[in-house]
Amino acid sequence: MRRFAVRRERGKKRMKHKSALGRVLRGTVSTNRAMALLTGGIILFSVGCALLPPLVLERIVDGLAAGKPIAPGLALAYFGALALSGFLEAGENLMIVIFGQKVTHRLRSELCGKLKRLPAAYYTRHEPGKITSRFVSDVDAVDSLFTNGIIAMAADGCKVVSVLAVIFYKSTGVGVLMLLVTPLLLGLTRAFQKRMLRTQLANRAAVGKVNNHVPETIRNIRMIQTIFCQRYMERKYDGYMEESYRATERSNFYDAVYSPIVVCISACVIAGMMVGAAGGTQQMFGISVGTAVALIAYVGKVFEPLESIGMEIQNIQSAIAGVKRVNEFLEEPERSVPEGAQRNCQNAGPCVRFDHVDFGYEEGTAVLRDLSFSVERGENVTFAGRTGAGKSTVFRLLLGLYGPCAGRVLINSVDAAAIPDAQKRKLFGYVEQAFHPVLGTVADQITLFDPAIDREGTERAAKLVGLHEKILTLPEGYDTSMAQAAFSQGQLQLLSIARAIAAEPEILLLDEITANLDSETERKILDALESAGRGRTVLSISHRLPQRSGGRLIEIGF
Amino acid sequence: MTRTKECKRVAQPERIGSYFRLELWPLAVVTVSGILYNAGMVAGPYLEGRMAQCLMNIESGAQTLAEMVTLAGAYLLVILSVQGMRCLKRFYVRRFANDTGRNMRRMLYNALVNESREELEKENLGAMMTKAMSDVDACVEGMRKFTTEVFDTGVVLLAYLGMLFYYDWHLALLSCAFTPPAYLVAGRLKGLVTRYASAYKQSAGKMTGATMDRVSNALTYRVYGCEDSRDAAYEAALSDYERCAVAANLWEGTMQPLYNVISMCGAVFILYLGGKNVLGTGWADWNIAAFTTFLSCFARLALKSAKASKLFNSVQKAQVSWGRIQPLMKAYVEPSTALRADGSKPVELTVSDLSVGWRGSPRILHGLSFSAAPGQIIGVTGPVACGKSTLGKAFIGEAAYSGSIRVGAWELRDLSAYERSRLISYLGHEPELMSDSIAENIRLGEDMSPEAFLRAVCLGEETAQMPQGTETFVGSGGVRLSGGQQARLALARTLSHGRQIVILDDPFSAVDQKTEREIFSKLRIWSKDRIVLLLSHRLSLFGELDGVLFLDGGQGLFGTHEELLAKSEAYAALCRAQRAGEEENET
Repeated sequence: MRRFAVRRERGKKRMKHKSALGRVLRGTVSTNRAMALLTGGIILFSVGCALLPPLVLERIVDGLAAGKPIAPGLALAYFGALALSGFLEAGENLMIVIFGQKVTHRLRSELCGKLKRLPAAYYTRHEPGKITSRFVSDVDAVDSLFTNGIIAMAADGCKVVSVLAVIFYKSTGVGVLMLLVTPLLLGLTRAFQKRMLRTQLANRAAVGKVNNHVPETIRNIRMIQTIFCQRYMERKYDGYMEESYRATERSNFYDAVYSPIVVCISACVIAGMMVGAAGGTQQMFGISVGTAVALIAYVGKVFEPLESIGMEIQNIQSAIAGVKRVNEFLEEPERSVPEGAQRNCQNAGPCVRFDHVDFGYEEGTAVLRDLSFSVERGENVTFAGRTGAGKSTVFRLLLGLYGPCAGRVLINSVDAAAIPDAQKRKLFGYVEQAFHPVLGTVADQITLFDPAIDREGTERAAKLVGLHEKILTLPEGYDTSMAQAAFSQGQLQLLSIARAIAAEPEILLLDEITANLDSETERKILDALESAGRGRTVLSISHRLPQRSGGRLIEIGF
Repeated sequence: MTRTKECKRVAQPERIGSYFRLELWPLAVVTVSGILYNAGMVAGPYLEGRMAQCLMNIESGAQTLAEMVTLAGAYLLVILSVQGMRCLKRFYVRRFANDTGRNMRRMLYNALVNESREELEKENLGAMMTKAMSDVDACVEGMRKFTTEVFDTGVVLLAYLGMLFYYDWHLALLSCAFTPPAYLVAGRLKGLVTRYASAYKQSAGKMTGATMDRVSNALTYRVYGCEDSRDAAYEAALSDYERCAVAANLWEGTMQPLYNVISMCGAVFILYLGGKNVLGTGWADWNIAAFTTFLSCFARLALKSAKASKLFNSVQKAQVSWGRIQPLMKAYVEPSTALRADGSKPVELTVSDLSVGWRGSPRILHGLSFSAAPGQIIGVTGPVACGKSTLGKAFIGEAAYSGSIRVGAWELRDLSAYERSRLISYLGHEPELMSDSIAENIRLGEDMSPEAFLRAVCLGEETAQMPQGTETFVGSGGVRLSGGQQARLALARTLSHGRQIVILDDPFSAVDQKTEREIFSKLRIWSKDRIVLLLSHRLSLFGELDGVLFLDGGQGLFGTHEELLAKSEAYAALCRAQRAGEEENET
C-alpha cells in the first residue's frame, strides 16, 4: 500500500507539467482520427469551394464582353458552385460542432473522474455550485475556445490566405493593395473590439446594479414605505440606469460606426482597383472586365473573415480564463484511492479500533489527540462530548474520508482508509445529521442506484423504518420523483435510515439525527433505529439513545 | 433631446405605441437616414456595374481614364455618404432602444416601489416584477429589430425589387419566383428545428442537474461506495447531451444554406437569360453594367429575404415579453405628500379598546387600552406568538385594527401613508439594508451626518476601525456585516429618520446584554420628547421602562413593571424564567 501511494505521488508530479486540456485534446484527436481528418478535409474543401463562384462569374462576364452567348451549363455551374460552397460551409460548421462536443464530452468525463479522487476536505472547502460551474460554464468556455475560437479562426485564416492568393494570381496590383489593407483592417477591428469590451464590462457592472435593485426593493419594501423614501429609491434606480445607459450609448457608438467603416475601406479598394485597371499599367493590374467583376466579389470575401477573426480573438481571450480554471481543478491534489480487493477478515480482532489516534483538519489545530477505544461486534456505543469535540470527526475517520495524522483506525483489523469504496456499503450504514436527497425517484433515495438492491430489498428497508405506507400513498409509489414527493423533516430522517440499512451493513453510524424534531417524530425515529440496529454494531452520537438501549458511553474531548 | 435628467412620464404605459411616441426625435432621424441609406444601397451595385462597363469601354477605346476616375470618385463619395447615413441610422435606432428600455424600467419600478407589501407577497407579484424587468431587454431588442428591419428589409427589398423590375420585369418575376417556395420550406422545417432545439435545451438542463447531483452528493456517494456507478450514469447523461447538441446544430445549420440555395435558383435564369439580354437576343436590351448590377442586386435581395425570418423570430419574442410586462404597467404613481398633521411637534398616543389582526382573518388581540406621553418608553411583551409584532404592524397599516389609535389629534386610519410616515417610525425584525455604504444606509439620500447615529447604537467605533469607515460597502442585504452589526445599523437608520412615535420590534435580539444596556441609555436621551414602543421578548430592561403592555391569550394588561409583577402571575413567571436563563448563561 505504501509503495503504491508513493508511485502515485510521482505520477502526479509528472502530470502537473502538462496541461490537462492538451491531454484531452490529443486524446480526442487520436481516438477519433477519422473524424479529425474529415473535419480538416471539409474545412479545406470548403475554403477551396468558396473561391469557385467568382471564377465562374469571371468566365461568364468575359464571354459576354467578347459577345459570346452563355452556355446553360456555365449558368448551372455558377449555381452549383454557390450551392456547394453554401452546403460545405454548413458542413464545416457542423463538423466543428461535432469535434467541439467530443472534446467537451471527454473533458467533462475527465472532470467527473477527478471527483472520485478528490479528498473529502475539498468538498467541505468548496461550494457545490462553484464546482458545478467548472463542469458547465467553464467547459462551455473551452468549447467556444475551440469551435468559435481556434478552429474557426484557422478556417477564416485559410479563407483570407486563399482569396488573397487568387487575387494575387489574377492581378498583382490588387493583391498588393489588399496586402496593405489587410493588417490595417485587422488592427482596426482589434481596436474596436477592445473598446467595445471595456464598455461592455462597464455596462455589465451597471446592469448588475440595476438588476439587483429590484429584488432589493422588494425585500426592503416595508422599510421604504414606512420611511417613505420611494422617490429616493426611484432616483437611485435612475442613477444606476443612467450608468448603464451611458455605457450602452458608448458601445452603441462603436457598434454603429464599425461596420460602415469596413464597407468604406472595401469601397476604397474597389475604386482603386478600377482606376488602376483603367490606368493601363498592364503588368501591375492587367485585368479584364470579367476579372474585375470577379475581384469585386473576392474583395468582399476577404473582409468577411477578417471581421470574424477580430471577433474570434475576443472569444479566445474570454475563454482562456475558463480553460485556466478547468486546469486548476484537474490539478488539485488527489487522495490515494484504495484499490484492490481487501480480504474481509471477519473474525480478526475487534470490529472498530482507534489506536492512539491524532487528527486535525489543518496543521496545528488538533481535533483528536491520542484517542484510543475499541468496539466489539454487535456492541451499541454512544459518543458524547461538547460541540466541536470531534464526535463527527470520529465517524469521518471510520468511514475513511480522512486519514489519521498519527495512530491507526482499524475496521475488522483493516486500515479504514485502505478499504475499497466498493466494499463500504456492505460495511457501513451512515445516517447523517441532514438527509441529502439525490436526483431520482423515491426508491433511488434508498438504493442510491445500487443494482444489487432490488425492489424487495428497498421495500424491506422502507417497512423497517415505517415509511412503506407513506410511500405507497405517493402518486407513483416508489417511482415517484423525489422532487414531487412531499416528505416532512422527520420522514426524510426515516428515509435516511432506510438508505443506510438497505444493503444490510455490518456497522450503523448515527450522527445526532434527532436534533430539531418534535417528540412524536423523535419517538418514531428512535423506534426505527432500534429495529435497524438489531444484530448490528451501532455507533451513535446522541444523548438520548443509550438510555433506551443500554449501550456503552465513550467520552470524546480533552 | 432625450437626455433630460428628470424621468419622462409615459402617458399610457400599458400601450406599446406610447413608447414609440415618446421617442419621436430619434425615430425621425432613423426614418430619414434609414430611407436615404437603403435607397442609396442600390447605388453600390449600380456604380460597380458602371465601372465594369467603363473598363470594357476603355479597352475598346470608347471611354477614357478620366471618366473612370470620375466614376470611381463618385462611387467612393456615394458609398461614404450612404455609409454615413447607415452610421446615423444604426446609432439612433440603438439610442431609441436604450431610451425605451429605460422608460419601461422606470415605469415598472415606479409601480413596484409604490405597491404595498401585501400585494407584492400575494400571487408572487414580486417575482413577476423581477421577471418583467428582465423581459424589458428582450422586448426592447424586438422593438429595435422591428424598427431597423422596417427600413433594412422593407425599404431595401422594395428598392432592389424596383431596380430589378426596371431592368427587365420578365426576368425579375422569373428569378424572384423562387423566394416564396424558400419561405414555405423554411416554415416546414422550422417545426423540426425548434423540436431539436428544445430537446437540446432539455438535455442541457438534465446534464447540469446531473452534474449538480454528482458534485453536491459526492461525499454521500463516497461513503456508500457508489461513486463508480454514478460516474457511469453521468457518462450516459453526457452522451445524451452530445447527441442532442449535434442534432440541434445539424438542423439549425443546414436550414440557412438550403434556404439560400432555393432562392438562388433564380440566378441560373439571370445568367442565362441576362446573357441573352446583353447579346441583344433577350427580353430587354442590356449592357455589361446592367448585367452585373442585376446579378448583384438579386444576390443581395436573396440574402436579405433570408434574414427576414430572423426578424419574425425576434418580433415574436418581443411580443411574448411584452405580454408579460404589459399587465404590470400602470400609470405613473406620484405619492401624495399633502400634509395635514404637523409631524415636528411632540404628540400623545392614546390607544383605546383596540383589536388587531391580519386583514381578512379574525382579530388576535382584543380590547387593548393604554396611553403614552412624549418622553416615555413603553415595553410590549408576552409569550411566543402573543401578537406583539402584529400590534406593531397595526401602526404602519399592515395589520387591520378596530377601536382607536389616536396620534395627537388624529385617528391613525384617517391618515394618508405619507402623513403616517411623518408621525410614526418602525423597525421590524429584518434589518432591510440596502447594498450601499454604511453612511448611505443611514442617510437614504438626505443631508445628514451618520456619525451621531452610529454612536447612538454603539456602532461608531467598529465603523471607524473599518478601512473605509462609514463609506464601507455593506454588500447585498448587508452580508458583509455580522448579524449584530446589521441590526444596529438598521436601528441607526430608524433613529436617523425618527418621528414622534417610534416602534421597535425586537431591536436587541442580535446584540449582547452589555451593548443592549448601552444602546438603551442612549435611546433614552435621544427620545426625550418622543414616544418609543419597545416590542421585545427580553425583559432585562423592562424595570426601567415607563410602562409595560403584557399580551397574553389575546388580552393586554397595561401598567408599570412593578404593578404587573404584582398583578400578573404570568408576567412574573416570564420574568423569573428569563432571569434564571441569564444566570445560567453567565456561568
